[in-house]
Amino acid sequence: MTTVPTSQASPSAGTRDGLSSSVRHWLISIASIGLSLIVWHVVATSIVRDPVLLPGPLATVGVLIRYLHTPYPADGDTLIGHALVSMARVLAGFAAGSVIGIAIGALMAGIRGFRAMVDPFIEITRPLPPLAFVPVLIVWFGIGEAPKIILIAAGVVPVMAISTAAGLDGVSKDMLNCARCLGASEAYAMLHVRIRAAMPQIITGMRLSVGLSWTSIVAVEMIAATAGLGFVILQAGQFLNTSLIFSGILIIAALGLAIDAALRRLQRHLDPTMRP
Amino acid sequence: MKQETGARVEIRSISKVFRRAKQLTQALSSVDLSVGPGEFICLLGPSGCGKSTLLHIVAGFIVPDAGEVRVDGVAKAGPGADRCMLFQSPTLFPWLTALDNVLFGLRAQGTITSDSRRQAEELLELVGLGTFGNHYPHQLSGGMRHRAAFARALINRPRVLLMDEPFAALDAITRESMQNFLLELWERERTTILFVTHDVEEAALLSDRVCVMSGRPGRIVATEEIALGRPRDEVLRDTTEFVALRRKLRERLAAA
Repeated sequence: MTTVPTSQASPSAGTRDGLSSSVRHWLISIASIGLSLIVWHVVATSIVRDPVLLPGPLATVGVLIRYLHTPYPADGDTLIGHALVSMARVLAGFAAGSVIGIAIGALMAGIRGFRAMVDPFIEITRPLPPLAFVPVLIVWFGIGEAPKIILIAAGVVPVMAISTAAGLDGVSKDMLNCARCLGASEAYAMLHVRIRAAMPQIITGMRLSVGLSWTSIVAVEMIAATAGLGFVILQAGQFLNTSLIFSGILIIAALGLAIDAALRRLQRHLDPTMRP
Repeated sequence: MKQETGARVEIRSISKVFRRAKQLTQALSSVDLSVGPGEFICLLGPSGCGKSTLLHIVAGFIVPDAGEVRVDGVAKAGPGADRCMLFQSPTLFPWLTALDNVLFGLRAQGTITSDSRRQAEELLELVGLGTFGNHYPHQLSGGMRHRAAFARALINRPRVLLMDEPFAALDAITRESMQNFLLELWERERTTILFVTHDVEEAALLSDRVCVMSGRPGRIVATEEIALGRPRDEVLRDTTEFVALRRKLRERLAAA
């Protein structure tokens, strides 16, 4: 195995062992996915042999590709259209929830009394399943887009508040003092040191939140939705179209991974210590 | 690069009480100290004697209960770029390269010019990191990070350097080279230096004057002029004169 020379002075950065073990990690992960696809195929075609109970991976991909350009239901949208609808809901809820959560987290880090005030609410709301709020949100906000976005945002807010507060708390007093004695004003130190230093952790919170947003998309689209991946999955379930259910799930997984990859990229951009 | 000389620092009857868990601790009790322009002073004392608190008060990070700090006759409240602190850890900003770390002071004050980059590169050269400007802190060794922190502090041409046990966390070899580096720098720039340490040898080696502090309440109990010649090098550490001085300081510290 060849090694990559590094010009770095620190022994911890990019050592030979680190590289080969990360490559091995990737290889094992890819092999594990491949193996599970083979097991899925064998179980579906030789043991279950009933596409309603368990369609094979090939059949699922076939259905997925077909509905990328065929509307479902017949008077509805293609899977691409449904994916865009769900994506818009997730991003809107995620964005609204992030803004509110970051603001609450910043206040929690800055004002001790405020933290004591909101802590119990965060602790109470965090473990609640989003499904529990569906009926009351319909009562309050009807069946439009508002309750759907609010439901997603409600899941994001506590996670963002906690990670923002923890990130801001974690910035050392010395680092802020250091900025001050280098001539930074209090506001400059707050913005360019405290918030900046907390950014990687805030983005970790965002990565958690995006995952959370997708996990509630099916619950969200139980609210009188006529489009969206959650809607497709529910609809396909009623018609025992199992391979279409799997297709919807696969697309959700792919979109979730894509957004996470984008955030991870942003995190790496903001935090040099994460770069290989 | 011509530097103006260091500033005179006057510490006048500074007192500070900390309240923690309903308990009052008299951290400092009416401390007076006058430091001449360009003087190198060590505050020597056991841990918890308030020497670090005193330094933080001079820097303006902590507001004293009583007393005042004057720099060149001007009373100071709050931190400023004229008094720069170097901490036990280098506290470089991990998201900035070494060069951008050095430029931080100028950016923060909005005094960055087209010449600033060259100035920062010169400072990195001065601390022996000329080719490491594009490295991030985590890519530098412990000693290099401390040097980068020096360069960052020097960009503002501070008139007083406050050093809070800056080398305590370094290994013996790196510490010695950093001490020599600091002495060279001080010989050249003649910045006023207040240096906190609990290491007797370090105090004797570096300073013009050692102030021995006792704890609870923290105050200066003895002052010792260090009459050793300069520049001070490794050979000095083994002379009888130095060894005798070290013993004397240690006795003072034990009596404190």
